[in-house]
Amino acid sequence: MLAERRWKDGAGPPCAARIESIGARLPKRRLTSRELVAGMRHRTHIDLERLTGIRERRVCSDGEDSFTLAVDAARDCLARSSLRAEELEMVVCTSITRYVGGLSYRLEPPLSLSVKEAIGAPRARSFDLANACAGMMTGVFLLNDFIRRGAIRAGMVVSGEFISSLGANAARDVRSIYSRQLASLTLGDAGAAVIVQRAPSGRAGIAFAGFTTISEHSRLCLGLPASQMPGAEMFTKARTIHKVAMQDAPPLVGEALEGSGLQLSDIDWLIPHQTSTRAIRAGERVLRERFGAGPKHTIVNVESFGNTASTTHFVALHKYLGEGAFRRGERVMLLSVASGLEIGVIVLVMDDLVETHGRTH
Amino acid sequence: MGARIESAASWRAHRGLFARGALALTEIAARRCLDRGHRRPEDIDLLVNAGVYKDRSLAEPALAAIIQEDLGANPGHPARPHSHGTFSFDVLDGGCGALTALELADSLIRAGTSRLALIVAGDADPSPRTSHGFPFASAGGAVLVEPGEGGQGFERFAQRTFAEHAGLFEACVEWEAANPKARRGGNVLVVREDPAFADRAIACAVETTGAFLADLGLRGADVDLLVASQYPPRLADEVARAMAIPRERVAPGPGELGPAHTAGPIASLEAAIDSGAFALARNVLFVTAGAGITITVALYRR
Repeated sequence: MLAERRWKDGAGPPCAARIESIGARLPKRRLTSRELVAGMRHRTHIDLERLTGIRERRVCSDGEDSFTLAVDAARDCLARSSLRAEELEMVVCTSITRYVGGLSYRLEPPLSLSVKEAIGAPRARSFDLANACAGMMTGVFLLNDFIRRGAIRAGMVVSGEFISSLGANAARDVRSIYSRQLASLTLGDAGAAVIVQRAPSGRAGIAFAGFTTISEHSRLCLGLPASQMPGAEMFTKARTIHKVAMQDAPPLVGEALEGSGLQLSDIDWLIPHQTSTRAIRAGERVLRERFGAGPKHTIVNVESFGNTASTTHFVALHKYLGEGAFRRGERVMLLSVASGLEIGVIVLVMDDLVETHGRTH
Repeated sequence: MGARIESAASWRAHRGLFARGALALTEIAARRCLDRGHRRPEDIDLLVNAGVYKDRSLAEPALAAIIQEDLGANPGHPARPHSHGTFSFDVLDGGCGALTALELADSLIRAGTSRLALIVAGDADPSPRTSHGFPFASAGGAVLVEPGEGGQGFERFAQRTFAEHAGLFEACVEWEAANPKARRGGNVLVVREDPAFADRAIACAVETTGAFLADLGLRGADVDLLVASQYPPRLADEVARAMAIPRERVAPGPGELGPAHTAGPIASLEAAIDSGAFALARNVLFVTAGAGITITVALYRR
């Protein structure tokens, strides 16, 4: 796993990095799994809610798209932050769906340019990054690196996912639970943003960030423009992905724990990629078997939001911070398992964020 | 010190029967780059792809992951003992993508996180039959970077964006119900370039480069080699003229196959390495331009 090198003799990097603020934007419109299945073109016997644990997901209405979700999430993040937009030195946009103005998929100019202009951070270094559902965590991994070595003081990672259009397209083609587009029915729309900020060395914050790509599985999930309708389609070998994720993720979690000097039982909250209740529970079981004990809590919020792609971990963090679930000093592990196969781990130690999240500036 | 360039390579496609997609072009360039650097794929611990126009406009996964698998760069896990595998992802920063990817690799190398990074970039029209306005030559490029030693490596990067010109170059994949070449309609690539884009991009590049050199206390005459984007086509020559950089210090441009997009600066870098100009240069200035308008510049010391 690619992670920050270990420092010897008690020495550490010049700075630490912490999550300073988290924002989110969820569209108001709700689409239940029952409604989605009822609208499918072919008559099936799929009980989507029972299969995935997803009762409903949020979906964009007219005038909402990847860009508007990203900007609204970035504004929410800034409203909760003690920093002003102009203090951001880097803005990284990580949307998989790059829809602007409906279903126009923008390749150039970068979305990050439009986001930083919209929020008033025109001087921030900006670029877009694509790493499937691991996009936002990859952005945090990179900002953590820039901040810890003292190159910048603060930056934002932001994503807007208008991804329910894939579900709408899949609803025209799915005929059975063996369909390669079945996973598209789990998707929900959301925007999320996170500010990563420099903190004095040794302070709580990002205790570990590491990533690797098990690319022998790179073609198990492909997302591309739809062949016969607007928007995109996603083709997933869901059973194979599930199998290889169960097999390959635990050793990498072990590597991350070793890198951060922790046991899995030291983790208070595990936030895995929110795909389905069954997959999350199966992953939790596999981790318990391997490490002898599991995290104290595993967060599952798919029932309300579905799989919100690259925003998934930060939508969950935002929700649970808002509910006051975390206490200062608790350790939260974000575990990403995304198309590629990208496996990433970020360990956070909760600090002032638990108190500042509810405040607006 | 920042990342040191170990090798660079590019590959271009002819039209017609010999046309190749972005993935194939990028992988050919990557293999040539590894050969030139006498490195094996499994030595790479970081792989960043900066190409924008991908085969079938693939949105997921990162094309870098597919390239990693095809190259055989630690595709499985567990990796070899004492190795941490390879981490791959894509950067999307238009014509500045390759330099942005180099900046990210430089940062991870400075921190000691990465020991050997491969930056790849490649573009080809994903659907030449139905697309509109694709202006770039099909090409792939790759650069291998490692920790710098003896004062050699990237010293500084800078970016400026000029959002007031964002509408001058736009590329989208959008639904076209009545595309004459796609009978039932289709999602097609549409590139809209305003005639003023090239001049504005050059003016923005000149302004950004001037400020960057002034900040470093350098003059144009101190630049031994200028490596620039190949698009817009006059960019390198105009920046050199405005900065009073002698023309012979400009890395070779695209040649008869036309300007490449994200692989353009890599192809010019490769030509400068092949001619010996890179080895003789003390100060190498990189200037890239893309939609936005975005200008990214970097100083590399040898």
